[in-house]
Amino acid sequence: MTTLTRSPRQDAPATQSDERPRRRAAWPIVMRREILVKITDKGFVLGTLFTVAILAAWLGWNAYQAERTSEYAVVTTAADAPMAEALAASATEIDDKVVVTSEVVADEAAAEAAVRDEEVDGWLHREGDGWTLTTVSGEGDLLGVTEQVVRAVTIDEQAQALGTTASELEAGSVVSSEFLVGDAERAGLAQAVGFVMAFLFYLSALVFGMQIASSVVEEKQSRIVEIIATSIPVRHLLAGKVLGNTVLAILQILLYAGVGLIGLSFTPYGSFVSAISGPVAWFLVFFAAGFVALACLWAVAGALASRTEDLQSTTTPLTFLVMGVFFSSFLLDGTAKVVASFIPPISGVLMPIRILEGDVPVWQPIVALAVMLVFALGTIIVGERLYRRSLLQNQGRISLKQAWTTAE
Amino acid sequence: MSVTTLPTSTSSRTGTARLELHSLTRRFGDITAVDDVSFSVPGGQMTGFVGGNGAGKTTTMRMVMGVLGITSGEVHWDGRPITHDDRRRFGYMPEERGLYPKQGVLDQLVYLGELGGMSAQAAREAVMEHLERFGLADRAKDRVEKLSLGNQQRVQIIAAVMREPAALILDEPFSGLDPVAVDAMADLLREHTARGVPVLFSSHQLDLVERLCDRLVILSRGRVVVEGATGDLRERESGRYRLTISDDAGWVRDVPGIHVVDVDGGSVLFEVEAAGAEQALLQRASSRAAVLEFGLVRPSLSEIYREVTQ
Repeated sequence: MTTLTRSPRQDAPATQSDERPRRRAAWPIVMRREILVKITDKGFVLGTLFTVAILAAWLGWNAYQAERTSEYAVVTTAADAPMAEALAASATEIDDKVVVTSEVVADEAAAEAAVRDEEVDGWLHREGDGWTLTTVSGEGDLLGVTEQVVRAVTIDEQAQALGTTASELEAGSVVSSEFLVGDAERAGLAQAVGFVMAFLFYLSALVFGMQIASSVVEEKQSRIVEIIATSIPVRHLLAGKVLGNTVLAILQILLYAGVGLIGLSFTPYGSFVSAISGPVAWFLVFFAAGFVALACLWAVAGALASRTEDLQSTTTPLTFLVMGVFFSSFLLDGTAKVVASFIPPISGVLMPIRILEGDVPVWQPIVALAVMLVFALGTIIVGERLYRRSLLQNQGRISLKQAWTTAE
Repeated sequence: MSVTTLPTSTSSRTGTARLELHSLTRRFGDITAVDDVSFSVPGGQMTGFVGGNGAGKTTTMRMVMGVLGITSGEVHWDGRPITHDDRRRFGYMPEERGLYPKQGVLDQLVYLGELGGMSAQAAREAVMEHLERFGLADRAKDRVEKLSLGNQQRVQIIAAVMREPAALILDEPFSGLDPVAVDAMADLLREHTARGVPVLFSSHQLDLVERLCDRLVILSRGRVVVEGATGDLRERESGRYRLTISDDAGWVRDVPGIHVVDVDGGSVLFEVEAAGAEQALLQRASSRAAVLEFGLVRPSLSEIYREVTQ
């Protein structure tokens, strides 16, 4: 009797509740878990904060260095005061990190005492034919400025004595510089930013990639994948995993890029922020496409292993690929660089670098991005098949060929 | 889909759907791990799946759940070939019990429930109910790796039963559990057979299978050697009687139609060679002395098992 009364409850609603999950896609649930697990993982959070801290510290130090000025106090006796005043007046003009103040003391003994007691930094006085700057120990910046001021003032005085002017005396002796290729400072910055982008790509692709691979093998090894695979299509598990990690990787890179650009605006390179923002935006777009393409391959590397110990060998080709992308970003040159900037996944780093260096027609990144997207689509299709066919096999390492040809 | 499930109302009227394996075979290269295995798991009954290491139990269960390809043969559910949607409604407990070691108990059970089509709320309620039942409610936030192996196993069984599954396929659900936990687990499984669900579980603990199962399938070297109701099986395998009287029983040797296997004082173990001879013997015995024991000797499952797998 019990079975009779229970049967309708068990059968009819079961069919209904079976309809519902089919309408509700499973990949967002998987994606949500991937993200939640990672952002509550201490290692991930600390690693990200650590990187931000290093980035901020480096930029901060640069800004501090740029802002820092040295103030020097110089004393003279009344007789030498005009020279000290000239020094105080034009020191900052000569070296923008040096500020000099002058002060007159009663006599030479008082001046020397003031320097000795380190109340002031130097005592400027005429001695014999020339001038002497007495300091406790070497004060390089002050000495450099003083030499220039004294020379200028002296030449001026002597020129007046000869009935001419200093500029007439110096006429034709000035050497100025001119750069034929771009701006040296900007080129240097482009190189540095390009290296940082390549390094971030390398770091992200490797760290997230290894995490994807090991989370796949973790599921395989614990057989939880068998429970999941009987609940949802394996395709959804792969999609959720890849998208969840991609979202995290992009958020992380956005954070780094944001901190980097904001930090840069406080350094002497602040004027270049707008110039490199465009290339950085391109980098983020290429990064997203390149990351998805590689993420599928990392998932395959995980699925080919049966135990965590197998991971080392199944991930080696990918590790080399990612390293190759990194090294090619600064080793390639000339035509090779232009060609490589269209080849995925290298294009993910090289094209933004070329944009950063300037003079890239806008069709080039668009074509490179299109090729990258086709590549990503390819790895998704191939990766899905390999993943699906190797995920539920657990007899040791599976070769690519086995994974490709095996029956499901 | 409902069109295909409706005609099976014959079985749903009795509240039982049946899982059937027809000539299931799986080869790995030259090795045949599962060879022409056929048996059925009726609804409302607990079927024990017994066999030594490497007999093919896990391989068979993985094929039933569709996580391993089938070389040949078919799995039927409710009288028709099983589909992916049918399997989605099954509760499955695989051989190893890893779960996600670093994730909290509640979180990952809710996750598995959601993947199985439950709402987060319903999953949470079902999980908490089961955790309370197993006395694990206070461990809901703990990471799985912090639980003892026995508790991890309880968590895993919750993953299998939380959705009120249409069938339960459990690989070694009792291994590593203490006797109290075994009873709790058995009670839980009985609740599911009570609602008409077929339960198939593998085990190598024969005493347990004997105590819990309605039916038994013994697998040896990839082949089914015994299948049937546990009680029938023991009767069928028997054919031996024991008689114990208050006097020496040596005289039984001379009774016609009786083949004595062993005599020990007043106790004699015998086989019946002529039908009804045991009844005649009983009458003679009761006229000579007090009969203390008379009945069919049921062999233990271990004896049957040893016999059929040798």
